Amino acid sequence: MPIEVRKLSHIYNEDTTLQMAALNEISTSIQDGEMLALIGETGSGKSTFVQHLNALLLPTSGELQIDDRIIRANEKATQLKSLRKKVGLVFQFPEYQLFEETILKDIAFGPKNFGVSEEEANQLAAKYIQVVGLDLSYLEKSPFECSGGEKRRIAIAGILAMDPDILVFDEPTAGLDPKGAKDMMELFRELNQKYHKTIILVSHDMEHVMNYCDRVIVLNKGKILKDCSVKEFFKESDLLYQLNIDPPSILKLKDALRAKGFQIDDDALTLESVAACIKKEVRS
Amino acid sequence: MAKIEVRDCVFSYDDKIDAVKGISFDVQEGSYTTIIGHNGSGKSTIAKLLIGLLEKKSGSIRIDGMELNEENLYDIRDKIGIVFQNPDNQFIGATVADDIAFGLENHQVDPSKMDEIIQEYAKRVSMSEFLAHEPTRLSGGQKQRVAIAGILAMQPEIIIFDEATSMLDPQGKKEINELIYELHEKNHLTILSITHDIEEAVKSDYVIVLDDGKVIMAGKPEDVLMHQKEMIDLKLDIPFALKAVNELKKQGIQIKDTITIEGLVEEICRLK
Repeated sequence: MPIEVRKLSHIYNEDTTLQMAALNEISTSIQDGEMLALIGETGSGKSTFVQHLNALLLPTSGELQIDDRIIRANEKATQLKSLRKKVGLVFQFPEYQLFEETILKDIAFGPKNFGVSEEEANQLAAKYIQVVGLDLSYLEKSPFECSGGEKRRIAIAGILAMDPDILVFDEPTAGLDPKGAKDMMELFRELNQKYHKTIILVSHDMEHVMNYCDRVIVLNKGKILKDCSVKEFFKESDLLYQLNIDPPSILKLKDALRAKGFQIDDDALTLESVAACIKKEVRS
Repeated sequence: MAKIEVRDCVFSYDDKIDAVKGISFDVQEGSYTTIIGHNGSGKSTIAKLLIGLLEKKSGSIRIDGMELNEENLYDIRDKIGIVFQNPDNQFIGATVADDIAFGLENHQVDPSKMDEIIQEYAKRVSMSEFLAHEPTRLSGGQKQRVAIAGILAMQPEIIIFDEATSMLDPQGKKEINELIYELHEKNHLTILSITHDIEEAVKSDYVIVLDDGKVIMAGKPEDVLMHQKEMIDLKLDIPFALKAVNELKKQGIQIKDTITIEGLVEEICRLK
């Protein structure tokens, strides 16, 4: 289910004194199976952009095409339900949206809403609680007994149960400790590689972007400032400094070694590959 | 001298299970101390105990030699400022200037001097141009800077940062980290930072590691953070430089353990 974005603009409070262009004629395309990072400063338009992907917001001008569905300004809401099933949007702190008395009911709520029978919805809940790395015993628990990281997994299971092809995560690791954040990123990798979901990740964590994504789109003041592969994005730290982002540690190490005359490959973005470059230059 | 002295401190939210289980530690005057530990280890509870938002069950907390109790709670709060995680939850004023003024008004600062003080501290955190701005027009990093300005205006001796950068974008994170470091280096404030950022702990003077409401390790970063087995067992991250050392060893290069990138580069150069 590829996404085509053509000259998408979104203006909040149009024709009032508070008018603000959040997106300004953005064009891009996202292919099936990509794991894409969307980055940019607060207010750059990231959240506005992702809310167009399942038509929570409609374009002021321009259009999006998701599979064969075209979304334009003034689209009728009734025609958007099937699209919402195909694009799962996971907001920040999704655990705040848990509300049922048991985890089973919470996960089954979405599919039932889309007309799936109760029995089938329960089967889906059993399947997806395991996909997010929790066992079946959780189904009868209250979501409110669980830890922050577990609640977030349960909220994600609820989205997965609707079997979306595209998953959008807005800052999914915010507030988790490093171990919880790493486990979450591993889950997304599995959803991408094993379940072939397209993953769009709004993230502030450059280590996650570098280690888990294939492509980076940088938004700045409602426009695309950079759209490139992760390898190219992290090739040198200059671009990151221009964007006022502290580079990941591995880039700092590469810079420091280069300053001392070491030859380190541009492509080396893992400790393993950087260590191999170092090995070539030191006596064994 | 210990600016903060915590001895055998116990606290429980529900009177059944203790969230803080007999903790003792010191924060030295003028030091940059970090507290690390995974979610639920008791980090934020300690911050709230130190400013008297929560009341300990037993043990003692002394700030600047004064025992923290109901009588001198307000004297102690004059010495300590705290910056919380969520910038939206601590912006009280209608504008940046109002927000900085809030604490001053509470302390009955002479209104004729207020303007000058507000301008001084807005400048200190590089927010002078934004004094008339409403919070909705500010980024997370800018809101945190305003919170810091409001605290600095009260001229505290200690500032606690409770995961103050964890909800910020990379730009905001960089701004606040640089500001914290500057407050420590130039203004010689005592800084206590509760953080998940292991690289921040690497740069600090003293690290306290918490787990399950207890202090597991405490000391200089180069001592504490070298204990990688313990760190991993506690589900904590280990410093990047140490991960690099591990990888180099795996590839057959003999190199000394180190926790800083500068130290690592030095060691690698020695092998050339």
